[in-house]
Amino acid sequence: MHIWQDDVSTSNDDVSTSNDDASTSHDHIEVSLAAEHGRPEPILQVADLSAGYGGPPIVSGLNLTVGKGEIVTIVGPNGAGKSTLVKTIIGELRASRGVVTLAGKPVTAVPTELLVRRGIGYVPQRNDVFGMLTVRENLEVGGYLLAKREVGRRIQETLAYFPRLEELAARRVLVSKMSGGERKMLALARALMMRPEVLILDEPTAGLAVQVAKTVLHEQVPALAERGVSILLIEQRAADALEISNWGYVLVSGMVRISASASEILGRKDIGEIFLGKFSTDTR
Amino acid sequence: MSQFIAATGFGIVNAGIFALAAVGFTLQFSVTNVLNIGFGAIMSLAAFVAYDLNVVVGANIWLALAIAAVASGVLSVLINRGIIQPFLKRGTSFFGMVVITIALDLIVEYAVEAIWGPTFLHYNVAAGTPVTLGSLTFTHFQLVAIGISVVGMIGIHLLLKRTKLGKAMRATSCDARLSKVCGIRTSRIHDAGWFLSGTLAGVAGVILGLTLGTFSFTVGDQYLIVIIAATMLGGIGQAYGAMLGAVVIGLVTQWSSLVISGGYSEVVAFVILIAVLLVRPTGIISGVAADRNMAA
Repeated sequence: MHIWQDDVSTSNDDVSTSNDDASTSHDHIEVSLAAEHGRPEPILQVADLSAGYGGPPIVSGLNLTVGKGEIVTIVGPNGAGKSTLVKTIIGELRASRGVVTLAGKPVTAVPTELLVRRGIGYVPQRNDVFGMLTVRENLEVGGYLLAKREVGRRIQETLAYFPRLEELAARRVLVSKMSGGERKMLALARALMMRPEVLILDEPTAGLAVQVAKTVLHEQVPALAERGVSILLIEQRAADALEISNWGYVLVSGMVRISASASEILGRKDIGEIFLGKFSTDTR
Repeated sequence: MSQFIAATGFGIVNAGIFALAAVGFTLQFSVTNVLNIGFGAIMSLAAFVAYDLNVVVGANIWLALAIAAVASGVLSVLINRGIIQPFLKRGTSFFGMVVITIALDLIVEYAVEAIWGPTFLHYNVAAGTPVTLGSLTFTHFQLVAIGISVVGMIGIHLLLKRTKLGKAMRATSCDARLSKVCGIRTSRIHDAGWFLSGTLAGVAGVILGLTLGTFSFTVGDQYLIVIIAATMLGGIGQAYGAMLGAVVIGLVTQWSSLVISGGYSEVVAFVILIAVLLVRPTGIISGVAADRNMAA
């Protein structure tokens, strides 16, 4: 409830800002819509989605697409509705309107525990690993839906991408004793166990030291995309995230204000100043 | 010295019974985050169901124990589905749930009194010859009680560390939201937690009835306090902590009876508990207590 209050008050502040510049942002939308034609075939689609916590909707009439093999970033100020959007996609919140489809099949009302079977992986912002389990057990739980024989194979396959984790697993280090960067690595590895088609990364660099955050965004996330996983990235470090992304959405007050190629958004300093405040200084 | 050895023997038997109950109590809390005070009444109920099977029906006491234990497990799942879950869905607070389980405890306990009456009962079993191990002497039932407890603890250990269900239970205990994200149907894991807890309550209740000789409808609740002490001592929500806590409480309360009256053994249990919590607020093994902000 407390978080929701924050959402509202912050987003109200932002409404005034964005209204002043309504004409500018409108132009951008026109431009970007034309460019959408060049994008790959969509794997995850959100269409006309509205959701909230019983009061007025926090996100309303939202449209976005993640194309096959793309990294798509959602940026936006605090309270823009990013968390609400993610919670709705992963089935924790019920959409009051609209649909979410994965490879053309609706997954809107599918409960969280059944989504992973459909091919949607999710790495939460906080509490993204099981602290009281070992590294290997975390991966086993990540592969909970797999046949027993397959679990071992997938663990080998997954650890091959994260040599550091393999080392930690061999030493049987308790996860709660690991560093932030190591934990995030484990969280990504855990989500990969099910070979998701789409991976939703909710602020993967939150709480990480700057250098570690850079590694996550510039090395680990692109490596996932190279393996064919399409990625929906929600990120505070907007500039870093857009640098590795194909497409970007700027979310303000629960609505998509800008949908454009990541390089286009990056190239327009005014967008950052208008919608993201600290965009070009703090986050780079 | 011989008194000390005898006390140690009793202490080991008690530790075994406490361990069964404390592990059941703590596992269920750890997996479902509901502190179930009704646990004591389930122990009593199982003791009386086994009494009917043993004395009225004429079944062998071990068969009666097995049936009563499984029945307790099933009843616990029904309580979860029928009473606990509806309240949780409504958003009842942690302490609201504690009050509800206290009410459940009283309802079940007095239902037992209403059905079987307020008298002391005993099972229809032959005493058998005492067995001497080194300088310790045990009755036949005490030895079986220790054996069941040891087997039970090894079983719980293997369940938690080796099986898929056990790992899912630990994952759910650690983070239910993340478990769902991994595809675990946490409501089923909760059912499993209630079943296991109810079954262990049943086993502990019947063994308590057996080793005490005679028991009344309050038998479970009389021991619940000590079981909670053992659980907290080891670190709430920790199966291994509960085993450790049970051994400490079981032995020390018996040793203390050499110095002060055995009637004070519960007091001794709590003095130990408070002393440990003063030094280590999360209990011996932290983790769940620290995680859920439940340190003393």
